[in-house]
Amino acid sequence: MDIFLQTTINGLMIGGVYALVAVGLTLIFGVMGIVNFAQGEFVMLGMYASWMLATYLKVGPYPGLLPVGLIMLAVGYIVFRTLIARVVGKPDEVAILLTLGLSIFLQNVILVIYGADYLTVQTTIKDAALNFAGLSLPLARVVAFVVALIFVGLLSYMLAKTDLGRAMRACAENRNIATLLGINPKFIFTLAFAIGIVMAGLAGVLLTPMFYVYPGIGTLFNLTAFVVVVLGGMGSVPGALLGGLIIGILESLTGTYVALDLAPIGTWLVFLLVLFLRPSGLFGRRVN
Amino acid sequence: MRGKQWKLFSVILVLVFAASMFAGCGGGDKKAEPQKVTEVKIAFMNPLSGSNVDAGQQDLNAAELAVEDINNAGGIKALGGAKIKLVVVDTTSDPKQAASVAERTFSSEKVAGMVGTGISGLTLPILPVAEKAKVPLITNSINDQITAQGYKYTFQVTPKGSQFGGTQVEFLKFLNEKFKLGITKVAVVYENSGYGVSTAAGVKDIAAKAGLDMVLYEAYPHGFTDASPLVTKIKASGAQALFPVAYTTDAKLIINTMKSMNVNPVIIGGGAGFLWPAFAKEMGDAVNGFVSVASWNWDSKSITANKDLVAVTERYEKKFGTFMTEHAGPTYVAVRLIAEAIEKAGSADPTKVRDALASFNSNTGMAAMMQPGTTKFDEKGWNSPVHPVMIQWQDGKPRTVFPAEDSTRAFEFKK
Amino acid sequence: MKKDVKKYLLTAVAAVLLLAFPLLVDNLYIQHSFFMIFLFATIGLGWNLIGGYGAQLSLGHAAFFAVGAYTAVLFVIYQSLTPLIGGLVGVVIAVAVAGLIGYPCFRLRGPYFTLATIAAGEIVRTLLLHFQDFTGGANGIPLPYKGDNFLFLQFSSKAPYYYLALAMFVVVFFLVRYLEHAKMGRYLAAIREDQDAAESLGVQTHKVKMFALLISAAITAACGVLYAFSVSFIDPDSVAGLNLSIEIAVVVIVGGIGTLWGPVIGSVVVIFLTEMTNLYLGDIRSGASLVLYGLLLILVISIRPQGLSSFFRRN
Repeated sequence: MDIFLQTTINGLMIGGVYALVAVGLTLIFGVMGIVNFAQGEFVMLGMYASWMLATYLKVGPYPGLLPVGLIMLAVGYIVFRTLIARVVGKPDEVAILLTLGLSIFLQNVILVIYGADYLTVQTTIKDAALNFAGLSLPLARVVAFVVALIFVGLLSYMLAKTDLGRAMRACAENRNIATLLGINPKFIFTLAFAIGIVMAGLAGVLLTPMFYVYPGIGTLFNLTAFVVVVLGGMGSVPGALLGGLIIGILESLTGTYVALDLAPIGTWLVFLLVLFLRPSGLFGRRVN
Repeated sequence: MRGKQWKLFSVILVLVFAASMFAGCGGGDKKAEPQKVTEVKIAFMNPLSGSNVDAGQQDLNAAELAVEDINNAGGIKALGGAKIKLVVVDTTSDPKQAASVAERTFSSEKVAGMVGTGISGLTLPILPVAEKAKVPLITNSINDQITAQGYKYTFQVTPKGSQFGGTQVEFLKFLNEKFKLGITKVAVVYENSGYGVSTAAGVKDIAAKAGLDMVLYEAYPHGFTDASPLVTKIKASGAQALFPVAYTTDAKLIINTMKSMNVNPVIIGGGAGFLWPAFAKEMGDAVNGFVSVASWNWDSKSITANKDLVAVTERYEKKFGTFMTEHAGPTYVAVRLIAEAIEKAGSADPTKVRDALASFNSNTGMAAMMQPGTTKFDEKGWNSPVHPVMIQWQDGKPRTVFPAEDSTRAFEFKK
Repeated sequence: MKKDVKKYLLTAVAAVLLLAFPLLVDNLYIQHSFFMIFLFATIGLGWNLIGGYGAQLSLGHAAFFAVGAYTAVLFVIYQSLTPLIGGLVGVVIAVAVAGLIGYPCFRLRGPYFTLATIAAGEIVRTLLLHFQDFTGGANGIPLPYKGDNFLFLQFSSKAPYYYLALAMFVVVFFLVRYLEHAKMGRYLAAIREDQDAAESLGVQTHKVKMFALLISAAITAACGVLYAFSVSFIDPDSVAGLNLSIEIAVVVIVGGIGTLWGPVIGSVVVIFLTEMTNLYLGDIRSGASLVLYGLLLILVISIRPQGLSSFFRRN
């Protein structure tokens, strides 16, 4: 029972971070129909930004959340305006290929600039853990989990209760009517995309105490984010949250009880099952 | 067939042909033998990008130092003082690319020999390429299959992965005897890569023969994000000793997670990530006390007994800012060995160099740099006298503590 | 008339050049590059059947490549069986796997199908890694050196591999050309335009797509076999990795998805560009060639999204 509880909690905590990465992905898809294959790379960029701040300005990861968030906002804006805006409204595969190219491009530009060295961001809480009731919770993971949930919560609140959020949901439902209602879709899309990127970047910051920073680290989270989004339903923020937690736990359980190197298969099988049985996911809109 | 596309294609085809003719010519005339040799090229192939750049950079440092040392001492005397030139090639961390890159290098450069790679998964695809191109190579990768394929141009200067397990288990037996630890339950966790699988299998084999109880034998995917499931399993297995086989990223993750989850078996590292400067940088003072198996260490007896060899390690440390690493040592030796083979053969012809290497047998000079002090390539191309050593981090550096014939420091028991 | 003569003359010249190529260019590396160009052109032609004509973007084709490669190699290692038979078995297994994947996956549209193919590819790769006692796992499998031995597809020079790749390319090229104009091609075109309309007109869309996928898988697997023996070493990451699947798709897309010459042009451009970049920029910093690669993909998609979107369907 002890092991089961520990495994589940391990999974839950990393699931929180998966949720944060996925939430950005699902927002982007929900509002403008773009499948962003480079989401993981923006997590990586967030990590590099965090590292830069820590190394040159001596700003630790957690205080760095705000500046990195702002940086990613700018990055998201630029990327949207130069690339993504062109393919909104085009068939999904176009966006997949474009963002795939972006993903390869970003990974390797960072490689050329920074080299492939594994970088670290030092924090004081790195090795600390909360130990109680036979369980062990690494502090960095707990903080990541809590902060991730806070951001997801803020985003949900924004979408549900603010005018901006309502405008986003309107665009997601039906762009033409939204325009008639006086909403500027281009502005909404830009903002939604930027926010999605910010979420990825923030997740990156939260991850730096736990992982080395290197150009390829984005790929680890990319695929998981997609699985989470499909499970939760493309376009649903609560879905991304729940999906993230479920996938985190599932991965952890498969790893412990089946075999560690088969852990990804558990995730993929669930993913395929969801795709075949209920492609709209837990909370998504019905897909024909 | 649409006319426009066909035209486009034929234009491209012609262009490509033209370019390849150009590249083929520009690469240097391989057939002609120059009258006076002023320079002999040695190819250096290692990953200088991607996930294995850590190791590749160490190899490069060592190779550059070796070339410097050779040239400063007068170059290749048998060829009138010809200088060695290193042709540095990045294999990338992708085996497909590595083979391609090797192809390209051998086709465009006239080299007397090649050094590399330090990563088994990248060395294996290059072997057939070197064999076809008839270029002798000396590698510091540890995979057993390297010298098992029947290639005549392949030489391996380091211990084999299967030996690592033996050394680690012997060391555990030594610990058990000396400190009365009574360890019987052991666990192996290893990265799912060429190096990991090879080393882990070696441990499993020997542990069984030594009568130890293997309570966990688990592969984990390289670059995994979360070590908690792995550590949970380690805890659940009740292992008293752990043999982790990991590169830098994962080593850090596993150790930190174990620390924070309060799982503390005796750790006997499997090399790679547990030996490199990044590990010490990462762990700070906490690194002291960690042990690991290694294919080479800078302070083994065969080196400390020879002041010229000690000088090499000191030069490395001065030039690159860290102790001479497990990758750097054998690569340095490899470059020096090729130079010696060229010297012995009196020629930069790769086939003659290969023959000189095949008959190499020495315990002086550079040959003594590989522990226990003799270098001799057997008929399969493997340096048969060599064996791994155990190191323990002390004062921020890895010190050789086992076996007795190589150790220069005593193992310090911590707890 | 004149146009025809010109066309035949060009064809003849090209054929002679291609056949005499290894004799003209002694350089091992360039021979290897051309081998890869024809290999990828062939795989691309196969991929195009389902990805271009069928408009279902697959990013899991490495799975078929790996099945072909591993089956042939394992038969050599365990049974000393010639890859001429072992490879055939590999192709059959790949086709079976394709059927297994295709049957449920074709119910999915657009990005969901793509994601499912990624999952399929990754599952194959993970399984290859896991069953290491059998497949060698991450260690990979090196092929024992047998010198010149046609039965084991081993040659001491590159030229025979080049000719095999060229031969395969020619065969597949004419096969695809035939299919393009045959009923199959027209059905696929109809499905690509509007799958629902095609259904209502009586086209058995599932059967047609499945057929395209099966042939595609067979071609890819055969190429996997040839590749494995030309490099004498395979491991899960290099033959079953997502990067390979992406590379296959990129080659076709850059060249022109859904067209006969697309994969060929794409293969020449992508491989040529990559190798040239490595050759001249490789010393500066590696990754330069991949930056170009990503940029190429971005540019092609950005500048000609209209051209591409007419082959896809919005679901």
